Amino acid sequence: MNIVLIFLITIFSVSLFFYGKSKTKTISIKDNIKLNALPKFYGYYLVLWCSIPALVFLLVWSLFEPVIIKSIIIETAANQGAIFSDKNEANLIYEKIKAIHLGTYFGDIDSILKESALAYAKFINLFTNSKVVLIFGIIIASVIYSLKKIKNNNKARDDVEVILKGLLFVSSLIAILTTLGIIFSLLFESIKFFSVINIFDYLFGTNWSPQRAFVRDASSITAAEFEELKDAFGFIPLIAGTSFIAFIAMLVAVPIGLFSGIYMAEYASIKVRRISKPIIEILAGIPTVVYGFFAALTVGPFFRQVGENLGLTVSSESALAAGLIMGIMIIPYVSSLSDDVINSVPQSLRDGSYAVGATKSETIKQVVIPAALPGIIGSVLLAVSRAIGETMIVVMAAGLAANLTINPLESTTTITTQIVMILVGDQEFDSPKTQSAFALGLTLFVATLILNYIAQRAVKKYREKYD
Amino acid sequence: MSNIKIKSKNLNVYYGDKQALFDVNLDLNEKEVTALIGPSGCGKSTFIRCINRMNDVIDICKVTGNIEMDGMNINDKDLDVVSLRERVGMVFQKPNPFPKSIYDNISYGPKIHGKGETKSELDQIVENSLKKSALWEEVKDRLDEPGTSLSGGQQQRLCIARAISVNPEVILMDEPCSALDPIATAKIEELIDELKKTYTIVIVTHSMAQAVRVSQKTGFFHLGKLIEVGKTEKIFKNPDNKMTQDYITGRFG
Repeated sequence: MNIVLIFLITIFSVSLFFYGKSKTKTISIKDNIKLNALPKFYGYYLVLWCSIPALVFLLVWSLFEPVIIKSIIIETAANQGAIFSDKNEANLIYEKIKAIHLGTYFGDIDSILKESALAYAKFINLFTNSKVVLIFGIIIASVIYSLKKIKNNNKARDDVEVILKGLLFVSSLIAILTTLGIIFSLLFESIKFFSVINIFDYLFGTNWSPQRAFVRDASSITAAEFEELKDAFGFIPLIAGTSFIAFIAMLVAVPIGLFSGIYMAEYASIKVRRISKPIIEILAGIPTVVYGFFAALTVGPFFRQVGENLGLTVSSESALAAGLIMGIMIIPYVSSLSDDVINSVPQSLRDGSYAVGATKSETIKQVVIPAALPGIIGSVLLAVSRAIGETMIVVMAAGLAANLTINPLESTTTITTQIVMILVGDQEFDSPKTQSAFALGLTLFVATLILNYIAQRAVKKYREKYD
Repeated sequence: MSNIKIKSKNLNVYYGDKQALFDVNLDLNEKEVTALIGPSGCGKSTFIRCINRMNDVIDICKVTGNIEMDGMNINDKDLDVVSLRERVGMVFQKPNPFPKSIYDNISYGPKIHGKGETKSELDQIVENSLKKSALWEEVKDRLDEPGTSLSGGQQQRLCIARAISVNPEVILMDEPCSALDPIATAKIEELIDELKKTYTIVIVTHSMAQAVRVSQKTGFFHLGKLIEVGKTEKIFKNPDNKMTQDYITGRFG
């Protein structure tokens, strides 16, 4: 139904565009008046007036219709004599009524359900009809209003400008609200988690084993269970593993990426650049899961083999393998971005350096790189956040055991990997184990936020110094 | 009559297929200011960029012919460009201080060439260069501030100081005042007058008045050819060539 309505609104608006355009044209010719805007702006004006109010109304209606119908139906069912003790049971009855209406309910239907289903059908009908009527009312009202405006030769161009500004504002508002929504959902679930697990036990605990948290209901925790839970959610091994793997990745990606960026920007001929730059960028297009099995099936076993030959014990899932492959994955980010940044350093600075007799590498080291430093730092930090957020390679190549270790040859795990582990398969949504995923998400979010803040401060400081 | 410092013979420059200079024969006198004038795109800048081999930076640029400094062939393939540029400094059209402190801007060149091994020697070089470029009094208390924080005119004098810092013999100036206001321009011109006691100077300029004020010798370029060269006074009062006459009286260009 809604799709049909949207379709109708669109068709109607488009035809109004042509109507408004030609109408104003004829008026201006016939009455020989100077229009306040080009004819097409009158067309846009009609389109916007015809579509926006109707679409907004449709959106709001569709958001509230199910809620209202539900509360009405539950009330009717209660009046009919349906018995439910809490919200969940009421929901269940409502779902049954809906299913009966749709003909997909196969259980026993008693008279209460039957009556309610009839009432449901009635309300659905009523709501749909009134929706259609109201929408057409709105369209007619707004079209009459805008046509009248057009006849008065309004400043349609300025008006369109105002409406568009409003639309853009609403779009950014949606983006901001979504972000806030995500943050709050993380926050509320985390608060539930921290009502069971002490926040300090979480932040400073050195043992992570969420599978111990079999307790279902937070309110019925016994003292023994609490002691058991207390040290099951230690965050330290995860942040250590995350930082460690990201660190290994940066050790690989920053030098190689930066040097290849410098080569591309300063030394490579146009021909070499044209061929090699896309090839490096292909690295960024490889799905991370492919890197993951490359790390798990090729690099990991290779390291183990080498380690055995050297007399070292290397776990087949190791931080080294994951970090190395992650580093390779990140190279194109660093190289491509630093290439761009170095390219944007003005040629006049290089000329100035050459003119006092500096060689190319001296110029690059002492003039070009310092001038490009804010951008290079930016690209490195982007790479760091990519490394911290990366999940798939770690799941496949670094293992799942939350070892607190600084030995790169042992398996370790990261925050994102643990979130995956917690949320795959069956889970109870009110067990501390599941809620810990939200706490992890929140911590990761806060950590990245702090990192970004520091990064921006650093970039700003250098910029003041160098620009 | 002073000595000839730089001598170009049948100098041709090509950018790819396009020829930018045609058989330029031009002598530059020692410790004198030579002004190069001419309409945009006539090859003045290309000519001075040959003197310190700055054209090497441009891949498609090809130079033929001879250009000698004190009898040494600048176009020689085996010539050490770094030591050439140590002897031939350059100041550009737009001030281009490095994004470093004022001090580091000046000490950059000497450090690269291993001059001024101790801090005090380096301090001395920086101070001398800034004094010679008449900037010392204005910046002596803020040497660690970024060079980019100076005004346009000060930045250009900083760039002149940077060029002087490696103690060159020749200074090339590519329209050094075109981005500056008249007061800053006057200061730079004053400075050029002072500098010519020590250095051989070549200045490319679009301002006829500037050429008259600062130079002893003037060369007029048009479409890649050196049309006329001679004493500045003569070029501006009584040129031999009709085209020169037309250009300096503002009939074209």
